[in-house]
Amino acid sequence: MELSEYVQKGFQMLADPGSFDSNAFTLLLRAAFQSLLDAQADEAVLDHPDLKHIDPVVLKHCHTAAATYILEAGKHRADKSTLSTYLEDCKFDRERIELFCTEYQNNKNSLESLLGSIGRSLPHITDVSWRLEYQIKTNQLHKMYRPAYLVTLNVENDDSRTYPEISFSCNMEQLQDLVGKLKDASKSLERATQL
Amino acid sequence: MLLDLSEEHREHLAFLPQVDSAVVAEFGRIAVEFLRRGSNPKIYEGAARKLNVSSDTVQHGVEGLTYLLTESSKLMISELDFQDSVFVLGFSEELNKLLLQLYLDNRKEIRTILSELAPDLPSYHSLEWRLDVQLASRSLRQQIKPAVTIKLHLNHNGGLNTSILQTDPATLLHLVQQLEQALEEMKTNHCRRVVRNIK
Repeated sequence: MELSEYVQKGFQMLADPGSFDSNAFTLLLRAAFQSLLDAQADEAVLDHPDLKHIDPVVLKHCHTAAATYILEAGKHRADKSTLSTYLEDCKFDRERIELFCTEYQNNKNSLESLLGSIGRSLPHITDVSWRLEYQIKTNQLHKMYRPAYLVTLNVENDDSRTYPEISFSCNMEQLQDLVGKLKDASKSLERATQL
Repeated sequence: MLLDLSEEHREHLAFLPQVDSAVVAEFGRIAVEFLRRGSNPKIYEGAARKLNVSSDTVQHGVEGLTYLLTESSKLMISELDFQDSVFVLGFSEELNKLLLQLYLDNRKEIRTILSELAPDLPSYHSLEWRLDVQLASRSLRQQIKPAVTIKLHLNHNGGLNTSILQTDPATLLHLVQQLEQALEEMKTNHCRRVVRNIK
């Protein structure tokens, strides 16, 4: 994990009980996690009365440093010993290291979930709807008398803003072919998970 | 159900008794070919020269025959109805027989061609799939994220459209379950009754 001097400086300030007492330290730590993980969080996350006495520039620096470090740690799946080593280097005392690791452990799943959801991917199928109809006639062809299916796949793009739909018609044989192939894929998936 | 042949149509068809059956059979072959591939005016000229008539006459004859065949196929009229419809044209027994044979031989194919004229939705052609496991991304390392990548081929307006899509294992199972239910639906009493009774 490569961390800048800015981050290191921020953590050194956080380590200092003169700048951040126990309470302030915990609050800032929680604020950092909240900013990252809570979708509704905004700048007000640092507006706690027990943080008012700290210079806002210092507050911002430490908050940013903490958030940056948390993201890097999450990205690389850092374990407790990695975290401890870095925090020791930043002159954190035992108590603060424990506090940080506990807070990190509590938020680890949400953090990894968030990081995993960032990135480009192919359009993703989320659902399917179908319609069965019995075709009787068109203006070009009478007495058709055959069943047909209309299948719509609901698709999500990774920017979550466009929802293209893919619709197509098929007869019974074609739908059987489609279902057969999807079943092959899911059997293959089952076998792969048992390896 | 009898075919309703207009004055103009009868006039065009009136050319047919004036040539041999072999020529009528040939016109029939040309008519179906034109339905398959589109018309080719040069053929009319060649035939017109050989038969010593105007190319318009040949064209009308072939078009009349084409219309006779497509209308009959569209309505799926019975043999008896076809014979009765053609009877009013006053052709010879031999010609009537030839026309009937032409109808019966080509009906299925003509209906297939006509079905392609319907409002067209993309239709299923085929599907390919691939199993993938995402191991890492720029924002998160050491992942094990299974996914199924699907290449869906659809026919639309004569061409093949391909969509590349992805889904996760849970959704895949859901898709299979839903579509199997769709297939099962055809076997229910309700659907069977409808199919049996609407003919």
